[in-house]
Amino acid sequence: MTQIQTPGDKPVIELKNVNKHYGSLHVLRDISLSVGKGEVVVVIGPSGSGKSTLCRTINRLETIDSGEILIDGVPLPQEGRELAQLRAQIGMVFQSFNLFSHMTVLDNMTLAPTGVLKLPKKQAREEAMQLLERVGVADQAHKLPAQLSGGQQQRAAIARALAMHPKAMLFDEPTSALDPEMIGEVLNVMTGLAQDGMTMVIVTHEMNFARRVSDRVVFMDGGSIVEQDAPEAFFAHPKSQRAADFLQSIRAPEKL
Amino acid sequence: MSAPSIRERLYESPGPKTRRRIAAFTGVALILLGLLLFLIVRQFALQGQLQPRYWDFFLKGSTWRYLGAGLLSTLKAALTAAVIAIALGFLMMRGKLRRFRPVRWLCAALVEFTRGVPTLLLIYFFFLVIPRMGITIGAFWRITLPCAISASGIIAEAFRAGVNAVPVGQTEAGLSLGLSNLRVFYQIVFPQAIRFVIPSLISELVIVLKDTTFAYVVSYADLMQNAKVLITSHDSLVSVYLVVAVIYILINYGLNKLSDRMARGTKKPAEAGQAKRRPA
Amino acid sequence: MNLSTLLTQYGDLYLRALLNTWRLTAISFAGAFAIGVIVTVLRVCPVKPLRVFGDFFVQVFRNIPGAAMLIILVYALPRLRVLLSYEMCVIVASVLIPSAFCSEHLMSGMNTIRPGEIEAARALGLTFFQLIVKIIIPQALRSTVLPMTSLAVGTMLTTALGSQAPLRPHQLELTGVVNYINSRAVGGILAFAVSAALYVATALVIGWVGGRIDRKVRILR
Repeated sequence: MTQIQTPGDKPVIELKNVNKHYGSLHVLRDISLSVGKGEVVVVIGPSGSGKSTLCRTINRLETIDSGEILIDGVPLPQEGRELAQLRAQIGMVFQSFNLFSHMTVLDNMTLAPTGVLKLPKKQAREEAMQLLERVGVADQAHKLPAQLSGGQQQRAAIARALAMHPKAMLFDEPTSALDPEMIGEVLNVMTGLAQDGMTMVIVTHEMNFARRVSDRVVFMDGGSIVEQDAPEAFFAHPKSQRAADFLQSIRAPEKL
Repeated sequence: MSAPSIRERLYESPGPKTRRRIAAFTGVALILLGLLLFLIVRQFALQGQLQPRYWDFFLKGSTWRYLGAGLLSTLKAALTAAVIAIALGFLMMRGKLRRFRPVRWLCAALVEFTRGVPTLLLIYFFFLVIPRMGITIGAFWRITLPCAISASGIIAEAFRAGVNAVPVGQTEAGLSLGLSNLRVFYQIVFPQAIRFVIPSLISELVIVLKDTTFAYVVSYADLMQNAKVLITSHDSLVSVYLVVAVIYILINYGLNKLSDRMARGTKKPAEAGQAKRRPA
Repeated sequence: MNLSTLLTQYGDLYLRALLNTWRLTAISFAGAFAIGVIVTVLRVCPVKPLRVFGDFFVQVFRNIPGAAMLIILVYALPRLRVLLSYEMCVIVASVLIPSAFCSEHLMSGMNTIRPGEIEAARALGLTFFQLIVKIIIPQALRSTVLPMTSLAVGTMLTTALGSQAPLRPHQLELTGVVNYINSRAVGGILAFAVSAALYVATALVIGWVGGRIDRKVRILR
């Protein structure tokens, strides 16, 4: 378990003064954030705070208006093969799973390893089966995504991203579309990944998970990073009023 | 809430190199399309088809009055055929949903027949066979009836799709209130179904309208037929047929646009049901 | 005239007409599909003038009546020094009109693709070309089997335009043959019934094949 950020180590992901607008809406305001190797950063905040957008700018699914994004110290390419190559090194897990609906789970797994990494088909299949085993859906390998439960689909989607041997993983609200009883199985897989030292940026509403698994919590509101801190400190003593209000608002229903 | 079409989703926002490439291709495309247009116009000019005598009579009111009269006959035939087709289609749809097998089979066979046979064959039937059977009908009906029959099967299927789009829960709720089957259908299911069906009925009108252009087979004085007269009186085939084709295209384009707009207004319950599954 | 005399006298003609209808349908459908694909590529490409041209093409041929189209090909084109054989005119009309509908079906097939899957393909590092070949085309084709089946039947119905061109007897298709027989003898209802039955049977076979393919490749969502 290597999760201590040694200063001087180049961050895997680094955002410098990133700004983005949707028309007149300023969705990302001067965001600066760096994620070290093996670090697990959880991004939380009210809906509309820009946390999903932030996550999606890291592999340029969203473009930015100004600022800089560096991956391993290298600026994010803007287009073409270089961009595709870079994306191949960063895994992404979506809220709505986004498995390719016309392919079996196994074909979903091997598409990019054979097509992008040019692995031999046999090796890709073997690795895919191992990963599916690891996330607990190996018995579903030959089914189509629609035949799986939401939790199974999301675990397969995580395995699909892992099959590319990514240097970092982005999770964009990975449990928000799941029925409550399936959330745990997905979080367990993510916890295992964190323990194995994967660099992760996770946008989520699961506060217990954030507290347990993350190295750092980033709180966003209104397109800005309001504060960031170690999880224990953040949840016990949020420094800003906005974070305190937010934590209050999400805790309230649990008391009912 | 309309999802962005595939045209937007297929591409990401371009980087500088991509933008330059698109600009270059846009230039080349404009040149090629301009060249194509030039070649077509040149061919018209070389063959003398741009001479004023082929086009100046379109400036006369009488030309347009004559074409307008033809268009009116075309629309009259198409609308009549559409109304008949809707009635027939409705009956066939009701028949196909009947429990009594022979009726169901008969209607299913009629649907397959009308969908599988070209309108022209039916027109020839009304033109060549019906009179020999001792039944005399005018040119108007000789074109309207086959067009109507030809469209009825597709309309029956459109009705059926509309009825199927109404959630079963509606029928169950109606029956559980003690309403009769007939009441449930006419008071609950059909009024909901018709909303989904109207866009496809409008696009059916386009098909019927196109089919009526065969009216010259039965010598009904529609737009095409009047165009022919215009051609003989002005000796200008190319210009008249092009103008007439454009008239047809514009009318059908308008109808299709109308149908699209109405389809966008009605959201199918199946889609509405899917939408609520995802909390944002 | 009863069925057996009709068939002994005109059986060969019907057979040839059936084969001609099949041939015209097959050629036209293949052509319509090819042009439909090309036009669809133009309509979704990022070059604006090509998109506009593609849309224009589709609106023209989607909305022009078959009769008007054929008349222009047969009578107007020769005056512009573009000479096509009569049969070629029928084929061109039965290619261009269905090709517009083919493109419309492909567009709506592509629109059924969930945006998230396109993003996922990008996030995995697929290039644009791989995205098109591995995700867009397979999904678009799979979800357009039934519309394409109707299009094949529609193309068959369009080939009845052949009865409106002065084709020679050996070139007659199923509608033209009825007209031909009726102008020589009193074929009556029977002459029509034979052609109609052959049309409907062909349509049913096309529909059956399409249904089977659809069941095999349809995408569960």
